[in-house]
Amino acid sequence: MKYDFLDPQALARLGAIPLEARHAMSGNVTGRHRSPHRGSSVEFAEYRKYVQGDDTRRLDWKAYARSDRYYIKEFEADTNLRAYFVLDASGSMGFSAEDDARIQFARKLAATLAYLIVDQGDAAGLSICQEKIHLEIPPTRRAAHLNHIFEVLSQTEPTGETGLVEALHTIAEKVGQRALVIIMSDLFCDTNALADALQHLRYRKHDIAVFHLLDQQEIDFDFERPHRFVDMEDKTSVVAEPALIAEDYRKAMQDFMQAVQTKCHDVHADYHLITTNQDYEEIIHDFLTTRLPKKGQK
Amino acid sequence: MSFLQQSLLWGLFAASIPIIIHLLNRRRHRTVKWAAMEFLLKATRESRGKKKLKYLLILTCRALAIAALIFAIARPLVGGFLGWGGTQIDTVILILDRSASMEQQASYGSGGNRESKRQSAIASVRQSLENLNNPRLVLIDSATGNSQDVPSPDALEELSATSATDTRASIPTLISNAIDYVLEKSPGRTEIWVASDLQESDWAPDQGRWEAIRTGLIDLPQKTTLRVLSLAAPAKNNTSIRVTSSRRSGDELVLDIQLTRTDDETPEAIPITYSLNGTRSSNKITLNGQSYQFQKRLPLGKRDGVGHGFVSIPSDTNPRDNVCFFAYGEDSPTTTYLVSEGGESADWLNLASAPPGFGRSRCVDIKPNSAHKIEWSKTALIIWQASLPKGPVAQELIRYIEAGGAAIMLPPRSESETTFLGLNWGQQTISPRDQYFIVDEWDQSDGPLRNGAEGTLIPVPKLKAIKRRQIVGEATTLASWDDAQPFLVRRVIGDGTVIFASTLPDYTWSNLGDADVLLPVVQRMIAVGDTRFGSAFAAISGSTEAQTAEGELRNRLDSHAESNTSNAAYEAGVWKLGDRLLATNRPPSEDQWQIITKTRLNALLEGTPYKLFEDQGQSDPLAQEIWRAFLIAMLVFLITEAILCLSPKAGTSPS
Repeated sequence: MKYDFLDPQALARLGAIPLEARHAMSGNVTGRHRSPHRGSSVEFAEYRKYVQGDDTRRLDWKAYARSDRYYIKEFEADTNLRAYFVLDASGSMGFSAEDDARIQFARKLAATLAYLIVDQGDAAGLSICQEKIHLEIPPTRRAAHLNHIFEVLSQTEPTGETGLVEALHTIAEKVGQRALVIIMSDLFCDTNALADALQHLRYRKHDIAVFHLLDQQEIDFDFERPHRFVDMEDKTSVVAEPALIAEDYRKAMQDFMQAVQTKCHDVHADYHLITTNQDYEEIIHDFLTTRLPKKGQK
Repeated sequence: MSFLQQSLLWGLFAASIPIIIHLLNRRRHRTVKWAAMEFLLKATRESRGKKKLKYLLILTCRALAIAALIFAIARPLVGGFLGWGGTQIDTVILILDRSASMEQQASYGSGGNRESKRQSAIASVRQSLENLNNPRLVLIDSATGNSQDVPSPDALEELSATSATDTRASIPTLISNAIDYVLEKSPGRTEIWVASDLQESDWAPDQGRWEAIRTGLIDLPQKTTLRVLSLAAPAKNNTSIRVTSSRRSGDELVLDIQLTRTDDETPEAIPITYSLNGTRSSNKITLNGQSYQFQKRLPLGKRDGVGHGFVSIPSDTNPRDNVCFFAYGEDSPTTTYLVSEGGESADWLNLASAPPGFGRSRCVDIKPNSAHKIEWSKTALIIWQASLPKGPVAQELIRYIEAGGAAIMLPPRSESETTFLGLNWGQQTISPRDQYFIVDEWDQSDGPLRNGAEGTLIPVPKLKAIKRRQIVGEATTLASWDDAQPFLVRRVIGDGTVIFASTLPDYTWSNLGDADVLLPVVQRMIAVGDTRFGSAFAAISGSTEAQTAEGELRNRLDSHAESNTSNAAYEAGVWKLGDRLLATNRPPSEDQWQIITKTRLNALLEGTPYKLFEDQGQSDPLAQEIWRAFLIAMLVFLITEAILCLSPKAGTSPS
C-alpha cells in the first residue's frame, strides 16, 4: 500500500465492526445513525397532536377512528455520521523513545478510522492543528476523498507549539450540525483551556472521543545519567539529574493525566489513554466495540 | 595534628574524585528531545531544596570518606606538641632542663605516684619518639651542656645525663649548642625540642644573645623547628631553705637562713633540722609570709677547726630545695698582685682588693718591670694596669689563668700595641664636653656584675666615664657603654678568667674609684681566683669549682643522701675534693619561681620556626597515632552515604 500507516489486513479485520455514534447525529443523508429529528424510517417514534399546517398525509387515520382526534404519527429519522479527526501536529507529537513517533501512531489511528467511517457510508473530515496553521478538510462520504485525507496525513510533520485548543474552538463554532469529534493529541497544553474547548464542543452537542497519546518513557521517566532535555516545541533546554527529579516528575505527570481524564469525563468525552507501544489495531477494536449499543438499546 | 607519612596527604586530592565524576557526568550528558517539558521544569524547580541537600550530603560523604581514608594512611598524630606539619624527622635534639626547679612534682603520674616535671617530660618525649618511628635522638642536658647520642628513647630514663641535679640551666647556651651541633653535624631533617619549666632565671630573657640565637635558627641551612615543651605548671605546697651565709664567730657558727614558700595564706610551723658534723638538732620556725630570714648560731667545739653540715626541712613537692649544705674551715689569706703604673687608680685598686678590716686580704703593689716577682701559685687575683704583658711574663700569666687564676686588665695611660690572648688596647677616646660615657647594658646573671643573691642590682649606671680606651679583639661582652662600645669583656682560658675593663678608677678617667662597681668586681674576681686554693667552702653545684681538679678525688662527707657517682658534680652535698672541703648547693636563682610569660617567649623567639606546647602535667605521649579514628570516620561516612542513597520505600497508594 502507498501509505505506511495503513494496513489492509487490519482494515479487513476491523471492517466488520461498525462505528456507532453515542449521541444523535445530524447528517445530510440517510444513514445508520440516530437523528435528533423525526424522519421517514420504519421505526415508530411517537404520536403528537395535529397542528394547523401539518401535512395531512401524515395523519393517523386509525387513531382518528379510535379516538376521534387528529394525531400525527412520527417516525425516527436515520442519518449519516460526520466525523472530524482533530490531529495535533505540534512539535511534541514528534516524540519517540523506542516505538513509533506519536504522530505516526496518530496517523495510523486516524487513517484506519477514517477508512472505516467512509466505508460504512459516513463522512470523515480532518483538521490538522499547529501553532499557526489550521488545516481543515471538510467531511464527505466519497471514497475518493479518503485519498486526500491520507495524503495530508502523510505530509503532516510535527512542528511548533500546539494550537489544539484554538482548533477545537474553531470546530465548535464552525460545525453547526452534530458530529463526532475525534481528538488525537498528547494534550500537552493548559488543561483548563482544554476543558473549556471540550465544553464548547459539548455545548454544540458534538460527540467527543479523545485519544490521549503518550509514550511509556514519558510516564516512567526511567533515565539514569544526567540528560539535557530539549523542548520539542520551543527548543529551550534544561540539564537535569534524573535521580533528583524523577519522583517529582512522575507525580506531576500523574497529576496531569488525572486532570485530563477528569476534564474529559466532565464533558462525557470518550477518553482513551494510549501509550505508543500498544497495538493500534487493538485500540481501534476496543474503541469500536465499546461504542456498540448495548442489548435492547438502539 | 601531624602526620608520619605527610607526602601521602597529596592523596587528599582524591577526595575531589566524586565531585569531578559528578561534574564530568553533568558535562557528558546525553541530549534528548523531550515533549513533556512542562512537568520536567516543574520537577526541576521542586527538586531544589531537600533533595538537592540530600544529593550534596551524599557527595560530601563520598569525598569525606576518601579524605578520611587518606588521612588514616598518612598516619596522623595528635597531641598538640608536634602541631601541623611534617614529622619525617631524622634527628631530634632534646634539650633537657635538669635544673633543680625541674624536680618540682607538678602532677601525679600513673598509679598515683608523684612524678617530677623532669620525669614527666622524659616520659612524654620517650613515647612521642616511639610514635615518630624513633628518629635519631641527641640529648643536650642542661647540667653538662654536652651533646650525646641516645641509642633508644627507652634509655632516656636510665641515663645519668637525664637524672636530677641541683644545677641551674642556661637555656640560651643550650639552644646555641644545639644550633652549633646542627651546623657541624648536618643531621638531616632536625627538630630541636626544649623540655623546660620556663623558669625565668634559666631562660635569661634579658640576655643579648637571644638575637644571635634567633638569627642562628633562621639561618640554619635546613628549616629546623624549635619546639618548646613547657612544664610551667606553678609550684604548689613547696618550701625551700637556703643558707645565705655561714661564718665563724668565736666558738659559734653563724648561719643566715632563708625560708621561702609558694603559698603564703596561712601561718605554718616548719620543723628545721640542723646537722653539724653529724650532730643533729631541730627546732620549729613559724612562717607567716612567703619568705622569712633568720639567724641560727650553732656552737662549735674548740677542736672544730674544720667542719660541715646541712639544714633541712621535711620533704615536700620539690625534694631538691629542702636542704642546704655548708662547710667551714680556717680561712687562709688571699693575695692580690696589683701591677700598675701608679697614681690614683693604683690607690683605688689597692683599696678595693684589700679593704680595711678585711684582715685576710692583702694586696701587693708592684711595677710592671717587677712582674717576674709575682708568686703565681699563691695569688688569687692579678690586677694589671699597664701595657699588656709580653714575653715570659705573659706566658706565666697565661699559665696562671689556665690553672684557675683570675686577672683584671685595665688600660694603660699611654698607647700600647701589645696583644694578650688576642686582645689589645685600642685608641683612647674622650667623651664630649659635659657628657659622660654611661654603661646601659650589662650581664646581670653572669660575671662580676651579676645581681646579688637576693637579686639586688649592682649600681652600674652610676658609673660615669669621661675617658676610656677601646678594647680590640674577640671576647664576651659583659657590659657595654651607651654607644655599644664594650666596658667589660671576659675571656675564659682553661679554668681561669680574665676580664678587660676599658676605663680607670682615676678622676681624670671616671668615677670607677667609687666603691659601687669596682669593689664587687674586684672582690668577686678574688673569689673566683681564690677557689682553687680551697679557701672557699661553698660553691654552686655544677660550677667549675665543684668539679674535681687534676689529681683530686671526690668523696661525699655529708650523710643527708646517697649520690650517684657519675652525677655527683651536679648534686648538692658536702664534698672532699682532694684537699678541698666544699659544700655545693643549688644556685639561688633556682629558688626564684618566676616563669617567663608566653608573650615574652614569643618575643624571644619571634621570627623563628618555633612551637610552644604546654604540658598539663600528664605523662601522656606528646603525640599519638589516631589512624583508627579516621578509619572509623570513613566507615561512618560510607554508611551514611549508603543510607542516603537508599530510595525511600515506595508508598502503597490506595487502589
